[in-house]
Amino acid sequence: MELLILPLVIALLSYLIPAKGVKYFGLVASLVILALTIGHLLQFNVESYVAILNPKKELPFGLTFKLGYDSLSFILVLLVNSVIPLILLSNFNKELASNKSFTALVFFMQVGLNGVFLAQDGMLFYIFWEITLIPIFLILYWFGQQNNNKVLLKFFIYTLLGSLAMLLSIVVIGITARSYDYETLAIFGAIIPAKTACWISCGFLLAFAIKIPLFPFHTWQPSTYTTAPMAGTMLLSALMLKMALYGMIKWMIPLGFTGIESIKWLVISLGLIGVVYGAVIAIKQNDIKTLFAYASISHVGLIAAAIMIYSTTVLEVAIIQMINHSIVAIGLFLAADILESRTNTRDLYALGGIAKLAPNFGFWFATITFVSISVPFTAGFFGEFLLIKELFEAHWFAGFSAATTLVFGAVYMLRAYQLSMFGAPKLATFEDLKWNEILVFAVLLTAAILLGLFPQFVIDFVKPSIIKIQELTTYDLK
Amino acid sequence: MDALIIIFITALIGLFVGMMKKPNLTLVISVLGLSVAFVVMSYYGKYSSLFNNFDGLKFDTYHWLFAELVIGLSLLITISGFQYFKNEIEHTADYYGLLYFSVCGALVLIGSTNFFMFFLGVEILSIPVYVLVGIKKSNLLSSEASIKYFFTGSFATAILLFGIALVYGATGTFDFSELQTLFDANSPMAIVGILFIFAALLFKIGAVPFHFWSPDVYEGSPNPVTAHMGTVVKVAGLTSIVTLFGHTFSAATDIVVPLFYVTTIGSLFMGYLSALKQTNFRRLIAYSGISNTGFAMLTLFSGNFISLWIFLLGYTAATLGLLTISQVLEKSNSDEIVNWKGIGYKNPFLGVVLLVFFLSLAGIPPLTGFFAKMILLINTYENHPIMVYLTLITSIIGAFLYIRFILNAFAKESNAEQIRIHPLNIFVLSVCTLVVFFSWIIILYV
Repeated sequence: MELLILPLVIALLSYLIPAKGVKYFGLVASLVILALTIGHLLQFNVESYVAILNPKKELPFGLTFKLGYDSLSFILVLLVNSVIPLILLSNFNKELASNKSFTALVFFMQVGLNGVFLAQDGMLFYIFWEITLIPIFLILYWFGQQNNNKVLLKFFIYTLLGSLAMLLSIVVIGITARSYDYETLAIFGAIIPAKTACWISCGFLLAFAIKIPLFPFHTWQPSTYTTAPMAGTMLLSALMLKMALYGMIKWMIPLGFTGIESIKWLVISLGLIGVVYGAVIAIKQNDIKTLFAYASISHVGLIAAAIMIYSTTVLEVAIIQMINHSIVAIGLFLAADILESRTNTRDLYALGGIAKLAPNFGFWFATITFVSISVPFTAGFFGEFLLIKELFEAHWFAGFSAATTLVFGAVYMLRAYQLSMFGAPKLATFEDLKWNEILVFAVLLTAAILLGLFPQFVIDFVKPSIIKIQELTTYDLK
Repeated sequence: MDALIIIFITALIGLFVGMMKKPNLTLVISVLGLSVAFVVMSYYGKYSSLFNNFDGLKFDTYHWLFAELVIGLSLLITISGFQYFKNEIEHTADYYGLLYFSVCGALVLIGSTNFFMFFLGVEILSIPVYVLVGIKKSNLLSSEASIKYFFTGSFATAILLFGIALVYGATGTFDFSELQTLFDANSPMAIVGILFIFAALLFKIGAVPFHFWSPDVYEGSPNPVTAHMGTVVKVAGLTSIVTLFGHTFSAATDIVVPLFYVTTIGSLFMGYLSALKQTNFRRLIAYSGISNTGFAMLTLFSGNFISLWIFLLGYTAATLGLLTISQVLEKSNSDEIVNWKGIGYKNPFLGVVLLVFFLSLAGIPPLTGFFAKMILLINTYENHPIMVYLTLITSIIGAFLYIRFILNAFAKESNAEQIRIHPLNIFVLSVCTLVVFFSWIIILYV
């Protein structure tokens, strides 16, 4: 329970701290939460399910308000709680870090994100899912670029549209099952008629496809990413997006299991179109933030497509790839923001030769670029290859289109790096990295390499709960 | 019954003390009177009343909740309207007197067990409001609103009376519980009768197709009176319409359900779609009120009082809060939406409460608005899934409307002024915010 209450208390407290100290307070507090999560990790047995909140009382309408975690939920909670300190740290030297509302909103966000991953009740999942929308909206609005009203309105309405479709799905299956408890819902997901199940998974899909975003629903994303402040972009891409991928694994497929066959290839196609489409657009982009936004569409399209295959291996690897994407997203958007805030432009052609002016930045940006194009010994290498292999086994063409991401990824990332870092310097000076930025990059690199060398830890960690979810979907009600 | 008498006496005292031009004393007496009424109401049925043998008014568990809500709301309206009528010292007496007479009418309407008391309730509720709307005699808009409301309203009352007469003619009884058994859905006279009653009640709550008065009247009336109409009158009207058509006339369900469909869908869409183009804040509130009435009318399908109550709690708290903010800003000509630009940015307190109220109206968790809509949807889905789909679509339009307003109110570069808020208004806003934030917990104890 403290995983939810502590961030909430910290969010409220950060209004009481004097403006000078608020950034230290935020950083330390987020580290305390991380330490707490690690404390949970040490006591955690991967086979088990730990209940956080389990009301004994019968609640009306079949609500259960169950909170708890198994290994799948827990690894994402761990991801959230380790990414938040990194986000605060990368912001540390900016004016924004001393803003009370900003710090508070980040922690409100953490409440919602932890809640999404801890919820074991359909309605509670929806509630936390929606709660995350308000802080991110305010972060984008108050601390983003001026005059971004149209972008925000689009973002908000788009996301809300998806959420309401999901609410409808949850209500429909909840009324059938007379309970919103996760296990009951998943068991019912295996036995409801295929047609209903198909509609239910479509409702979920709309919500997740908008959040991920999958190909035709992605139009809100590049404009939102570019007008957002750095921390907002990081929260959106490194964490909120994971809610949707997690939702696909844990909620969408089990709850609409009998109907999933009919939308399986739809989602795979959309995901793979996203892979190619995002990459092709990214190659032609000159705006570095937009480029990274499209790169993100390309990367997550692969994960979403692979998840639909729903074999144990794919899901385990998808988790690794999700973590890897968080690492890459934070690194890239930090680099993009460093470029933008120090040169006041995002245009690649206006940059150049920065590696000479700022060798440290040149080095660390290169490392994150390599992590992003999945060179061996980084997490992406392992993840992407296994996902492509699984897609290839499903259909050769799927595997083929997915594999283009390796080539295209190298093209757009190296192009971005080359144009901004090499060549004759077009700028007089460029301030090199500060300590906090180096620290963030170093942590990211360490994580990526560790994950690349020892992916088996994560696989063994999530395996029991993935097998359990798959057992639920084949449950025989008798 | 005792609470009703206490409020009536409070109204009389308020009237006379108000005439002596002592606004502070009037406020103290009113708050005291209403608080006593609130407490007495909360012990309803637990002590032997002075009028135990009177059958015309009975508050069962659910109606008791609505009565408490009405008294609580009028208490808040009194407090938030104090500032306004302190400046209009000429009208203090009429305002307090008429407002509480109208509240008495609302209680009678909610507690009525037969058509006689029911009609009495409707009249006592409405007539003071006709006067209150036109209380600013020198203001043309106000007078226009009053005339408009009075003529259409009295016409609706006549229709209501006609309907009651027809139902009486068909069944021979006024009593609701007897009507429930005696009502014959095959009798044309009875059907015409309940249609008339339905139409008149739709007018009172401002639902489509009888909603045209509400934007004009909301715009023209003084702010506290708008708050009264948007909350107390709506609560009383919706309670009575659900009592009658969800329960008393349940025999006629097959005949009236198509009407429910038309009016509910009409209200839902008409309200938000018209609101999109509004430039006047109180017209916007009126149209959003029409849509929210549509939401509340979903309970007609299930007849579930508790979901209606929670919805009304969330809706009235948010509306009252918004109208209080509008009143706080009155000096900066808050009626025009363009003048709200940057208000939330310059006045963080107002900004936060504005955000909370609008998000609750838009149905974003974890605010009461969301939980209320969730229960409505769960209750409606089983028998009328189509209503749920349409409701969700309107929710999106509504969210668009509210978010656009929030974006406007929080705009950064603007010359918005900083506003000193009267402590009483701060109190009202805080209470409304707390209600919107936490009252959903009640659903866990239903």
